[in-house]
Amino acid sequence: MKTLFLAVAGFALALGSLGAAAKGNAESGKAKAAQVCAACHGPDGNKPTGPDFPILAGQHVDYLKKALVDYKTGKRNNPIMKGFAATLSSKEMDDLAAWFASQPSNLVTHR
Amino acid sequence: MIAALLAGASLAFPAQQGALAQPAKAPAAAKSSPVASAPAAAAAPAAAPAADSAQAGGNAEAGKAKLAMCIGCHGIAGYRTAYPDVYHVPKIYGQQQAYIVKALQAYKTGERSHPSMRGIARGLTDADMADLAAYYGGPHK
Repeated sequence: MKTLFLAVAGFALALGSLGAAAKGNAESGKAKAAQVCAACHGPDGNKPTGPDFPILAGQHVDYLKKALVDYKTGKRNNPIMKGFAATLSSKEMDDLAAWFASQPSNLVTHR
Repeated sequence: MIAALLAGASLAFPAQQGALAQPAKAPAAAKSSPVASAPAAAAAPAAAPAADSAQAGGNAEAGKAKLAMCIGCHGIAGYRTAYPDVYHVPKIYGQQQAYIVKALQAYKTGERSHPSMRGIARGLTDADMADLAAYYGGPHK
């Protein structure tokens, strides 16, 4: 019973945090993140290894996707991120965005 | 929520260039705000009760007086940009301080291209950026 409740709550939470734009698969994103992103941003996007690397956990899913797309196209010009984003398909970006957006963090909207 | 926004707007300084969605100012309080800029920030090292304000050399209290151009987008939960693309503006409260400064510098130099952010960042000094990063940057308790 408790397990069922947790599963339902988890599903609702995932839906809520991803919103209508959700199309990525967070579990696939988790696996990809461990290979590509974790070394700098931390496995859940909460523990960047450099002071000027952003926290990704809890960020808006559509903003994360846009950032990856912009790195790939060069609209956002960062040599490190361009290299990584260039290898990612649109589906992989959706998955990664879904994974990081669904991780708890201290990022909030606050004036 | 509205009250908080109005309180924030009352700290406004005059330059409102490029802002997309400024909330209405609280008329009575608006005139009392000092124009905070680099000299004010440098002269007020004591006015920093926030524990994390000193991390990146910025002053969180001084940053608080420079939020006017930020809160119209970043202070509204669920707010989406309307131009040039539609997406949620990023959450920045709790973000790493050095990353906030890096992002603002990248907008200022044109390395990052969002039109509103470029317009706003062009008007910021290094001290302004450090103060804003000290205010927004985490971790917050």
